[in-house]
Amino acid sequence: MKKQYLLFIVAAGLLTFFSACKNESGYKTLIITGQNNHNWKASSPVLKQILDETGLFSTEITITPDKGGDMKTFDPDFSKYKLVVIDYNGDSWSEKTNKAFVEYVRNGGGVVLYHAADNSFPSWKEYNEMSGLGGWGDRNQKDGPYVYYKNNQLVTDTSAGNGGSHGKRREFLVRTRITDHPITRGLPVAWLHGTDELYSQLRGPAKNMQIIATAFADSAAGGGTMRDEPILMTIGFGKGRIFHTTMGHADEGGGPSMHCAGFITTLQRGAEWAVTGEVTQKVPWDFPSAAGVVFRPDFKEMTLDEAFDNIGNYEIAKSTKYLSCIQSHIRTLAGDEAGMLKIEKMMVKVLKSTQTTVEAKKLLLRELSRIGSDYSVPAIKNLESNAELKDEAEFALSRLSTK
Amino acid sequence: MANKSSRRDFVKRSATLIAGTFILPEIIPSSAFGIGRGTAPSDRIVIGSIGVGSQGMSNMSDFLKLKDTVQFVAACDVDKIHLAKAKATVDLANKNTDCRTYDDYREFLEKEKLDAVSIALPDHWHGIIYSSAANKKINVYGEKPICRTIKDGQSIVNSVKMNNIIWQTGSWQRSLANFHRGAELAINGRAGKIKYIEVGLPDGNKGIGTPPVIPVPAELNWEMWLGPALKVPYRGVSHWDWRWILDYSGGQLTDWAGHHIDIANWGAGLEHTGPVEISGAGVYPVEGIFNVPVEYDFLCKYANGIEMRVANASRLPLGMGTTWHGDLGWVHVDRGDIISASDPKILNEVIGENEIHLYKSENHWQNFVDCVHTGKPAIAPVEVAYRAISVALLGEIAMTTGQTIKWDPDKEEIIGNPVASRLLSRPYRQPWTLPTV
Repeated sequence: MKKQYLLFIVAAGLLTFFSACKNESGYKTLIITGQNNHNWKASSPVLKQILDETGLFSTEITITPDKGGDMKTFDPDFSKYKLVVIDYNGDSWSEKTNKAFVEYVRNGGGVVLYHAADNSFPSWKEYNEMSGLGGWGDRNQKDGPYVYYKNNQLVTDTSAGNGGSHGKRREFLVRTRITDHPITRGLPVAWLHGTDELYSQLRGPAKNMQIIATAFADSAAGGGTMRDEPILMTIGFGKGRIFHTTMGHADEGGGPSMHCAGFITTLQRGAEWAVTGEVTQKVPWDFPSAAGVVFRPDFKEMTLDEAFDNIGNYEIAKSTKYLSCIQSHIRTLAGDEAGMLKIEKMMVKVLKSTQTTVEAKKLLLRELSRIGSDYSVPAIKNLESNAELKDEAEFALSRLSTK
Repeated sequence: MANKSSRRDFVKRSATLIAGTFILPEIIPSSAFGIGRGTAPSDRIVIGSIGVGSQGMSNMSDFLKLKDTVQFVAACDVDKIHLAKAKATVDLANKNTDCRTYDDYREFLEKEKLDAVSIALPDHWHGIIYSSAANKKINVYGEKPICRTIKDGQSIVNSVKMNNIIWQTGSWQRSLANFHRGAELAINGRAGKIKYIEVGLPDGNKGIGTPPVIPVPAELNWEMWLGPALKVPYRGVSHWDWRWILDYSGGQLTDWAGHHIDIANWGAGLEHTGPVEISGAGVYPVEGIFNVPVEYDFLCKYANGIEMRVANASRLPLGMGTTWHGDLGWVHVDRGDIISASDPKILNEVIGENEIHLYKSENHWQNFVDCVHTGKPAIAPVEVAYRAISVALLGEIAMTTGQTIKWDPDKEEIIGNPVASRLLSRPYRQPWTLPTV
């Protein structure tokens, strides 16, 4: 008894130790929020969850005084952090805090500017250099050019006019403009983003700025500029790196823009890049494409085990994401025999289950025809006499016997 | 459907002759043999269509323009609305009501005594119906891509060769001046020795989600539409949109391989061979009934050192079309009469008398009809079409398996990978089988 108890204590201690390690080893990150024309109470915890999900960051949220409050009391010690995420659009910070922040970035601190953060601080010169482009707040030609793509050409447009607009919220197609940037490497060149504001007509100093992704603001949705507007940007400021995403307009709980796997992934990758200049995260299997928006209900990437837990319930007209997850996993195995056999065994297990739907079995038989081995054959043969599955079973057996 | 056409009698007699049970008629209607042996050019070839959806009707309209050389007599489709439109179109052109209609290609091929057939079907049907038409010794104008699998392609090529028929692939870009000119500049070394080729094909589109099962429209024979493909319930996707479902097509990649990859091969002298190594990746939809890759990017290496990258247009600097890169520069061609080069002077180059002059055609459909008369090979012969789509099908296998595929272009086999080799063919649902010659 005593021995077991002791083991328990040791195990619990180790767990605490490891989870502490994870936090300790994560890049210390500060999300600044508290004032915004947007729902910061909804967005900031989602941003924290998205970043912490990677295991790379340990994130705190700091909340500024309310609008009109005493901003002198907002005095974070930036030097403690590797990354500062700005989810803030409100009163000016104190002179001291501004200075400390500029110092932090100059010395190599990472920054993520999120959505309406590029509306903030229209008269703070250094902040506008960090954001590259901004909107609203009486921004106009005095603040710098409009920058966008037109007919696949980068345009710097100094014409007079207000900065910042967006049409009606809608899904839009994000187009990667720099495919070999660490943030975008391996991502599709085009992907559909969940319903969001498509920030347009941003203008600013645009110094040391790269536009890595744009979205076409068509006029069909109302208020479109008919330009490919910058959506993801990187900016260099001193030794610091800034990742600027205009996406992510928050509803309660995050809403479609923040649940979009494309928003989540680019934020995670952009944040890592802002800290290190590199991205070590793998492209998730569920990154969206031009085929359609992909939402993550819990902001997490589905695992292979979860896919196998759910595939057996498949019915026509239901989600195909569990199958897609399995297929994607097979592609990444690149023919690795041990890995393929493991997947094959998982498939056969679901195939044999009496709980598995006929439609799910049909899907699995098709997959087994591609990756199966002798291991699958008895289970498939069993289904040959099943009127509903005969065709698929014959299909699989025929292919498995192809020499 | 009284038959008053003397032309038809004439063809009928010749068909009987082929069967070897009849005495010589006065005239040998040579075109009915497949290869012309002296048919008077004034003789119109008798043609019908299998598959009269959008592309089938487009081809029909191109053939109907050749009134003096073509007589359209019959159409076949599994959709009654398609069939009615086809008949109305043919009858209007012929100023009669004689166009015969069929809902089963077997009956069509059996009853109609044709010189030629224009076929435009979903890809999963190509193997069976192209081979069947060839085995009936009917000359074929067949839509690209000519096959859904390598094995289907091999069967088609074999049937066409063994039956000695004229084959024209619907790779009509070959009959346009800019593509011809670009390929001729490339193959004659005007960009230097060709080292690398880029082929840009269309990006994929937004899906339609996961539609429910709905009743099959009364006009559609769904069972026959599916044919050799696995039986699935009708969910509102058949005509046109079949190309976004892997059972029937490989998406934009395979849909367009017969155009820009075909042109790439033409200008690089790769028409009768294939790559030796293929690797790359695709982007597949997460959700939905449409499951073809919406992005694709793969590299093919050839035995002679040439490399060909095939990708959706947004991934490539010059976007859509074919670009041959030589050691001196590049030449690019695309639709819309586009031809450009690293140095504009290249475009003014004259091809000398003793250099390579590529086959010239100014009208793809006329070229087919002419060749049916003369017995000369058409500008887009079957093996060439098979080699063009093979590139895309091997790319598809590389992307699906996540592996580098080694290919023997002479034996037409994947080397050392039995699991990937399974994807070279696709079992047919009973009772369908590939016809033997």
